[in-house]
This record gives sequence, C-alpha cells and structure tokens, in this order.
Amino acid sequence: MSRTVSDPLVRLQGIVKTFPGVVANAGIDLAIFPGEVLALLGENGAGKSTLMSILAGLYRPDEGTILFGGERVELRSPRDAIHRGVGMVHQHFRLVDSLTVAENILLGWREPRFLLDLRSSAAHVRRLADQYGLEVDPAARIWQLSVGERQRVEILKMLYRNARVLILDEPTAILTPQEVEQLFRAVRRIRNEERAVLFISHKLDEVRAIADRIVVLRAGRVVGQSSPQASPRDLAQMMVGHDIPVAPKRHLPPGAPVLEARGLDVHGDRGPLAVRGVSLQLRRGEILGIAGVAGNGQRELLEAIAGLRFPAGGSLSFNATDIASLTVRDRWVRGLAYIPEDRLGQGLVGAFTVTENAVLRDYDRPPISRGAIFNWTAAREKAETIVNAFHVHSASLQVSVRHLSGGNQQRLLFGREVLTAPVVLLAMHPTRGLDVEATTTVHRLLIDLSAAGTAILLVSESLDELLAVSDRIAVMHRGRIVGVHPTTEVSRAEIGLLMTGSAPS
Amino acid sequence: MRTALRLTVAIVVLVLVGTLAGPGTAQGKHKVAFIYVGPVGDAGWTYQHDQARQYLEQTLGVETKFVESVPETAEVARVEEQFIRQGFTVIFATAFGYQNFNVQVAKKHPDVHIIGIGPAIGLAPNVKTIYGRIWEGRYLTGIVAGKMTKANTIGFVAAHPITTVVAGVNAFALGVWSVNPNAKIKVVWTRTWYDPPKEKSAAKALLDAGADIVGQHQDTPSALQAAAEANKLGIGSESNMQRFAPSAYLTGTIWDWRQIDAGIVQGLMSGLFKSEDYYGGLVDKVVSLGPFNPQVPPDVQALVDQRQKAIVAGTFQIFKGPLRDQSGKVRVAAGKTMTLAEILGFNWLLQGIEGQSPTAK
Amino acid sequence: MAGAAPFPEWLEVVAIRGGAGMAALAVGAIFLAATGHDPWRAYREMMIGALGSPFAIEQTIIKAIPLMLTGLGVALAFTMGLWNIGAEGQLVAGALAASWLALTASLPTLVMLPGLILLGAAGGAAWAFIPAVLKTFVGVNEIISTLMLNYIALLWVDYMVFGSWADPTAFSFPYSRPFPPQAHFPVLLGDIHIGLVLALIAALLLAGLLQRTHWGYEIRTIGASLPAARYAGMRVRRNVLLVMAASGALAGLAGVGEVSGVIHRIQQGISPGYGFTAIIVAWVARLNPWAVILVAVLFAALLNGGFVIQTAGVPAAIAYMIQALVLFLVLASEHLLRRVRRRRALSQTRAALQVGR
Ligand SMILES: Nc1ncnc2c1ncn2[C@@H]1O[C@H](COP(=O)(O)OP(=O)(O)OP(=O)(O)O)[C@@H](O)[C@H]1O
Ligand SMILES: [Mg+2]
Repeated sequence: MSRTVSDPLVRLQGIVKTFPGVVANAGIDLAIFPGEVLALLGENGAGKSTLMSILAGLYRPDEGTILFGGERVELRSPRDAIHRGVGMVHQHFRLVDSLTVAENILLGWREPRFLLDLRSSAAHVRRLADQYGLEVDPAARIWQLSVGERQRVEILKMLYRNARVLILDEPTAILTPQEVEQLFRAVRRIRNEERAVLFISHKLDEVRAIADRIVVLRAGRVVGQSSPQASPRDLAQMMVGHDIPVAPKRHLPPGAPVLEARGLDVHGDRGPLAVRGVSLQLRRGEILGIAGVAGNGQRELLEAIAGLRFPAGGSLSFNATDIASLTVRDRWVRGLAYIPEDRLGQGLVGAFTVTENAVLRDYDRPPISRGAIFNWTAAREKAETIVNAFHVHSASLQVSVRHLSGGNQQRLLFGREVLTAPVVLLAMHPTRGLDVEATTTVHRLLIDLSAAGTAILLVSESLDELLAVSDRIAVMHRGRIVGVHPTTEVSRAEIGLLMTGSAPS
Repeated sequence: MRTALRLTVAIVVLVLVGTLAGPGTAQGKHKVAFIYVGPVGDAGWTYQHDQARQYLEQTLGVETKFVESVPETAEVARVEEQFIRQGFTVIFATAFGYQNFNVQVAKKHPDVHIIGIGPAIGLAPNVKTIYGRIWEGRYLTGIVAGKMTKANTIGFVAAHPITTVVAGVNAFALGVWSVNPNAKIKVVWTRTWYDPPKEKSAAKALLDAGADIVGQHQDTPSALQAAAEANKLGIGSESNMQRFAPSAYLTGTIWDWRQIDAGIVQGLMSGLFKSEDYYGGLVDKVVSLGPFNPQVPPDVQALVDQRQKAIVAGTFQIFKGPLRDQSGKVRVAAGKTMTLAEILGFNWLLQGIEGQSPTAK
Repeated sequence: MAGAAPFPEWLEVVAIRGGAGMAALAVGAIFLAATGHDPWRAYREMMIGALGSPFAIEQTIIKAIPLMLTGLGVALAFTMGLWNIGAEGQLVAGALAASWLALTASLPTLVMLPGLILLGAAGGAAWAFIPAVLKTFVGVNEIISTLMLNYIALLWVDYMVFGSWADPTAFSFPYSRPFPPQAHFPVLLGDIHIGLVLALIAALLLAGLLQRTHWGYEIRTIGASLPAARYAGMRVRRNVLLVMAASGALAGLAGVGEVSGVIHRIQQGISPGYGFTAIIVAWVARLNPWAVILVAVLFAALLNGGFVIQTAGVPAAIAYMIQALVLFLVLASEHLLRRVRRRRALSQTRAALQVGR
C-alpha cells in the first residue's frame, strides 16, 4: 500500500521498560505512519499502556530509542512529547473538575504565556469541536460533564496542542454505543488529515471497524501484525497464544427470591433523585442484567442495595428480611457482595499491597483477625488463594495494586468478592478493561457462580455481555426500570430502543 | 524498621566524629559568657548588655562569648552548662526568667559565678542578680511627656505585666501628673519583650485613641517609629533610640551595664564576689536619660535635671502616699513612702491610669 | 547505564546520607567563611554540643523526648490522613491538665505520678477532640481548627500563670509556683526523665497498633482511600474522633514530660515549637513510629547544636540557617535514596529475567 512510500512519523526501536519484578516492554519495535489508525491489541498486562506512556513522555525507557522523522529524541516529560506532536488520552482522565472546559484545555499549555485570553481560546475550542464533531460546551465545568464528554475534552486538548500522533488508551471502555460511533467519526477525520491515531481496545469488533493496521503485543513483545480483515478468532488467538473457548450458554430454573426492592428512590450525588421508584426481584441462581446508558441511575441503585447510600424511599429486603437499616458491613456479612465500577478508587486501595487488599472486607473477623490482632499469615494465605484461583498476575503479594494492570486488578477484586460464594453479587462493569480471555473468564465465573446459587445483578453497557450471561434483562432509563424481559424473549434492537427512552408500544 | 537502622548508623557516626574532634578548652584568665534573651540587633535591652560585653573585652581584656535568642526556659540551663564545659567561669544571664535555672546550674558548679537579672527570686553563694530602679528614669521621662503633650493624652506601651514594669508605668504617670495633673494616661500590654510588629500596632492603637506622646517599656524602637510616622512624639526605652526616630524622640531611659559588669568581673579577678540582689539607679548611672529633643524647652530640661539631682541625693521620693489603686483603694497612706520591697511587689496601677493591669489583685 | 553497581546496599545508603550531610556542611562552611567565621571550629562546637559528651547526649535526649511523643502523635494522625497540626496546643493542654493536679492536689508520689500521666494524656486528648468533633459533625477543616487551638492553649497558660497559679515570689513573672517534689518525674540517668520510657512504650504500642491490629488496618485504609474505607464499612467518624484523641494524648504526654520532668512548673514558652517540629519529624520518619524516635533524637541534636554553634561566635540567624540547610538536604537525600533503591530493584529484576540485549 501507500505506507511504504511515506516515512513514519515516529519510530520506536528496541524499547525495554521494567518495573520492580515485571518486564512491561521487552524490546519493542514499532513504526507509526501518517494517516493511519494503528490498533494495539494484547492481553491485560501485555505492556500496551506502558509503551504508549513511553511515547507520551510519561515514562522513560530503560533501553531503546525514539525517532521522530529519523531524528533520535529523548522525551523527558509529557510536555516534550506534546511539543513533538504526541498527545495521549489516558484511561484515567487528567482534568480539573472545578475549571471549565476551555480552561482545562488551556491549562499548562505554553501559549498564551501570560494572560489567558479565554474568549478567543473558547472560540478556537468551539471551532475544533465543530470540525471534529466532538460536541462540548467550552464554558461548562468539568464536574458537570458525563465521562464521554470528558473524554472529548481530553481529545480536544490534544488537538488544540496540535498533536500529530494521538494516543487513545481504551477510549471506548466507558462510552455508550452512540458515543463510540461519534468517537470513530472524529478518529477518521483526524486520520484523514495525515495524522496518526494509536488506538487501544480489548473489543475486537471495534478494532476491526476502525483500525488500518493491527499490532499485537504479548508479554512485552510484538508477536504479530494483522490487517483489520482478520477474523476475531485469529486475532484472539494471536493475542493469547491459544484458542479461547466461548462461554457456554446456560439454562437453569430460577430459584426463590433473595433480593427484592420496592419503589426504591435514591438521591444522586448532586441532589435530585437518581433512582425513581425502582422495583425489582432477584432470585437465587439468577443473573439479572441491567442495560442502560451510563449515568441513568445504575450506580446509585447498586450503592443503595450495597448499603453505601441511603434510599429516600421504598423498601429493600434480603432473604425476606428488611435490610434498609443495615450497614454495608452487616449486608456483606449476610452475603451481599459488591464489585464497584471504580476499581482503584473504591473497590481496592491503590497504595496497599495485594495481601492488604485481599482482606479489605474481612480484616476484622476470623481468621484474618482474632480479637484485635491482625494475622498477616492468614491474610497472606487468603491473598494466595485468590491469586491462584483467579489467576491474578502479580510479581508478588507485596506489590501495590496500583501497579497491577487493569485486568489483574479486576481479577483480584472479583476474586475477593466472590471467594466466599455470596448470596447476592452486585457487579458493575466487571469486564470493563479486561482482555478477551479475561472477559470470557469473568463470564464463565459469573455463570458458574449463579449455577452454584448466587443471585447476580449485573450492570453493563455491553449488550453482548448481557445477552451472553443474563437470564433476564432490565433496562434503566432516567432512574426508572423501563422493562424487564427474559433474555430469550427480547431482541437487541428492542433493548437498544428502551435504552434511549423510546418505549416500544 | 530499616529506616530506623540506618538512622542509628548515622547517629553513631555523628557521635564518633564529635568525640574525635575533642573538646576545645583553653585555660587562663576568666572567660566571661553572656546569654541574651533576644537578638543583639542595634537597640534595646540585649543591645545594651552586649555593649557591656564589648566594654569588658576592651577594658579588661577578658575573653567573652555570647549566645542570643535563648528563651526563658530549660534551654538556658543547657546553654550555661555548655559554656561551663568550654571553660567559662563567669556567666551573665541577662534575662529575669533565667533565674531559676541559674541557681540550678550554679549549685552543680560552685566554682562558676552566674550573674542574673533581679529582682532576685533565689540566690546561691555563687549567684548574684543585678537590676536598676528603672522607675526613677521613667518618672523623669514622665515629666517631659507631661510638659510636652498638647492633646493632654499620653500612651504607654508596656511589656509583660511583671512588677518592675508596673512600677515603671506608675512612676511614669506620677512624673506626668507632677507637672500636668489633668493629663490622661493610657496603657496597653503586649505581653512580650521583643515583638516589633506587636509593639508598633499597640502604639498605633494608642495614637488612634488620641495620645500624642507614646512612652514605652519595650525592647525595640517600634513604638517610637509608629509615633514618628504619625507625626507624634515618643519616649525611648532600654537604649538610646534617638537615631531611629530623631524627630519624635523626646528622651528616654537607658540601661548602662558597663560599669557594674566590669566591677563584678574585676572583683572576681581578685577573688571577690558578693552574692546579693543589687539595684543600681540614677545614682550609679545604671539608669540614665537619653539626649533631649531640641523641641524640649530649656526650662523643662532644667526641671528634669533638678528632679534628677534630688532623686540621686535621696531628697525626693517618687512613691509617696497617698497612693490609690484603680479601684480607689488607698494603698499607700499619706506621708508614707514605699520601700524597695514594696515597689518590687507592685501589682496594681495607680488610680487615673486607663487600662487594665493583668495582674491586679 | 552502569546500573548493576557492585556496591553493597548499606554502603550506598551511608554514602548518600553521609553525602547529604557533607553537602550541607560544605555549603554551611562557605556561608560561615564568607561571614568571617571559622567553619571548622563552628562545626566542632556544634558536634560537641549536640553529641560530643555524655552531658550533651543527655541534653539531646531530654530535648528529644517531647519531639518523640509529639512526633508519634502527628504520625498517627497523618497515617489516617488527619492533618493535625495542633500538637503544640495539645502539648500545652496536657501540661495544663497535669499542672492543675500538681499545683492543687497534694498526693503521695505513687498516686501523683500516674495521675499526672493520665491527666496530661486526657488534656491533650480533649484538646484534639474539639477539632475532631468540629470535623465530624460540622465539617470544619482540621488544619484550621487545630492551628487556632494552638493559640488558645498558649493564651490559657498566660491566663493561669498570671492568675491563680502565679508564683508569689516571682514578681508577677509569667510562671507558676513550683511543683511539689511528688510531682517531679523520676529520672533515669542524669536528668533524663521517665518521659523517655513513655515515648518508647508509645512507639512500641503505635507500631504494633498500626501493623498488627485490625484497628491499625482500618486507620491505614482510611488514610489511603476514604471511598474504599466506606466501601469496606469502616466507621470513619468514630475513627476520626478516636485517632485525633489518641494523637492529642501523645502530645499531651509530651507536655507532662516538660512540666513534670524538666521545668517542674508551668510557664510561658514550655515548648519552643516542639509540636510544629514534630510535623517535620513525622514526615522525615515517613510516619514510621521507630523512625520517629530516631529522627527526634537527630532533630534534638540539631537544635541543641544550633545554640552551641553560637558559642563559636556564629550569630543565631546563621545557626538557624545551617539547621535549615541540614534539614533540607536530608529531605533531598531521602528522595535520592528512594530513586536509587528503585533503580536497584529494577536492575535486579532485569538481571533475573534476562531481557534486553
Ligand atoms: N508503575 C508501575 N509500577 C510497577 N509495575 C507496573 C507499572 N505500570 C505497569 N506495570 C506492570 O507492567 C505490566 C504492563 O502493564 P500495562 O499497564 O502496560 O499493561 P496493559 O497492556 O496496558 O494492560 P491492560 O490491558 O490491563 O491495561 C503489568 O504487569 C503491570 O503490572
Ligand atoms: Mg492499559
């Protein structure tokens, strides 16, 4: 193709990056050409984010060189990188909540040097937004925006800085299908301007839809290249090194009701009700999927059930007893487990080791603690059990979990919550950011768990996932449940319609 | 735990280096140490003591050293012990609050002589305290203020409400009233010896309250400078503060420790030391007045001079009854004069002075 | 990178720490020389004054005791993410409470001493409890409230020592009557009082609490991530109240040590800012209780040396500057050490995994 005639924008050669106990990149060569969308595929912990962080000036490689147009360059900081035209949108956003969109975009940029000419910059931002179809109000404050809008701000920030190489690290993990479409349109426009987009995702169909070229990493090395025409199966095989068995379908008779909500009202963080009169029933051994666009009350609903938020009205019963007045702890003791959406902020303590995180729920009860005394041996044993049973890849139990890759964090969290075979499991986006194999693993775990009797409330934005594992699917829209259907009796299109609030007649 | 271990190593190394260096002592004549409560600076109480220290070096040729800004806490005992270790045999510990520690240290080192600031709380055979009848000087400056005020309101910025300060405020008032019985006198307490910003704001408050002259018992010229900035007048304290505010400086009290310190050290050189609570005054120039502002008319200067002579001669007593306290109670009956001990027990302000005495009983 | 240096690790540590110390002394020496002082003599005096004789070591330890106790208190609060910068006020509150007992009750030593310790701890705890209550129930930021309470405690001392506790023989000078002998802390060695034992016990208990009890786990979790603590059902408010009180109690003990162990009365200026220095001590010790003990000794040595260096003719201002310099470079060397240690771990990893070329 034309690739061979144009010179690469950037060339990475022999990149090695190690962290204590881990080799994240073990000698990677990669060329990035103008006018292409280059997708990076790889399992959790393959080293994708690390490699991109090196290109974005965040980490310095232990070995290897970075060439811009043939010139060898040392990137000492993200600033250096952006001056060379490399901009990265991270998995975690780096925006200041209390500032406006325009202010965030200008923040830390070298021009204007002294005075922020906000008005003309706002106009510039608006022009960019129109040009790429990334709608966002330059005057809005970040905290008022949805995650999708925040991501657009991050992308605009990089475009404003004239990035020639735009890195998007798992941008779609947090987006609704509509937003993904919007993002893809912007990505294509950027590519057509002879810029390059580096795109990381675990969703193979997305990668196939957007990429011009696919590079697969495994264990810190490039293990193959592929065109987007390759089949998902081939790609998956290249990533993992073996075939991934598809999760088995399941057919189980429903059991007795274990969790019942009636007319539940829950306030959101900003005051008004986020959950309005939700009634639902969850039966033993059942997986109830909750579909819906992010921000329609799913999180508040789960937090209310878990005991982290007090309902403003309605009732909540668990195994036929009222639990509305019980604390989180009491509910957990009775068998209510919860995998929150915010892994590192809530479900795990980033600064703590694997061992310490393994006992976050039962640190004060036997066998972890006897009386007041905390038993490290017992804690380590528990961590060991989780690590082995759920294949958490970690250099040791002493590693801070913030240094685990996203997928391994999720395995640890998941393992901790389900190790004790809870009566009810509330799971919010449990496969977000997980690679193909890990996702299948989680699906299988969910299915096995429900087969063993656990009732599962699964919130997900992925209809595929919901359709694959749920027995019934409920749709949430503006805080209400707008329809509950057995999975076998509902089509993808019907759910999609419900999610947008247009109820079928 | 590892951090702890490494720190241990560091300490051991430090100790080794310290001991290897060995103590530096030199035998010979008396070595004289001075301990100051504030920085030497260029004016004030500590400055005057440092003048005396330099005087000792020049006239007696003794070796001296000083440590400044030592708080009136157990810290001073440490510093004294340190000096003693370095072979110092005479220590001038120049703040009243050092006294308890002086006695403690002196008891452990009978061959060392410590001179503190009185009034004496406790003495030991090798401890002496020195102080002066500062109220004599304050009375004289009161006369100047009483004559010079046009607003008939005079302020006074006072330090800690300890008895010697209270005595000075009362004497100042008596001086004012001796020439101007209707003048108002307002007092503000800073409760610090050395705090320039606080002194300045206290002076400003008094000026705002209508005073056109500010007297003071403070360690810095801040109050004086505040008066100068407001185009008003002021009285200095502790050292000659004229050069800090030449236009505002009417006169002021001055401490002079040179002669008395030299006398003590000379005595020690010939093996003499008297453990006592010594009070100087105008008579031996431990307390004296600074230069007059040219604005002060000759007749006022003459009056001050005449009163000073009378005090020195013992023919005039400042604290003579009847004296009433702020509540109107007669504290000193008509015809009686206060003894030194009574003056040193002052914890009440005279009737007519505006402003609380924090220690009034 | 010539990464895999053949130095043993401890040598590197000594080299870096020593290097930082040397650098501080070198820069200080330049200043001293430039201002016309003999650096060698100044340093010798400083060393001798701080640690060069049994007396100096004794004095340094006495000064370290309040730094240890307040440092431990601050470290405890900081571990939970409570920014208690009121150790100074809590120290004073503890001293006030103990002084009340010492000056008003006549008790036999065996009752008096435990009484002083308990009351002092309670006084500090109560003083810290106020901001804790304000924080949990009204949402007042503890940084501001603890700071304000420092000043109130100091004014309270003023009030007492000018008022009913005033020493009648002291010409109204702001200090109290002396404590009766029953209220003097026993001494261990020289003038080192039993406050040292209290500090060591406190360090032992605190280290045990944080690492070996589930309460300690709770405290660390709350400090590391509030949302995670809530998720785990930890009672954050209760812990704020308890930990602040415990932190204040430790500072209160420091206050008792000063009045009963050192000055034997209460007066203005019983603490030359121990509660503030404690913040730096806790920080340098990275909140590790045993490290707090040692860092407190080093700081005490530095502070004592600062007075002694003046006897070499160095003005107080320059002495303070050298202290600050040492402090600054020690902090810098900690940073450097951390980086070196990381690099070492990396090269070990790589050697073990045989990557690269
Ligand atoms: N700052 C760090 N400190 C220590 N180890 C790290 C650090 N960052 C990454 N790692 C480790 O390096 C390896 C590669 O991580 P990286 O985040 O690059 O993977 P990834 O391919 O992006 O995975 P994921 O798909 O889960 O995001 C992982 O084993 C991870 O634990
Ligand atoms: Mg990643």
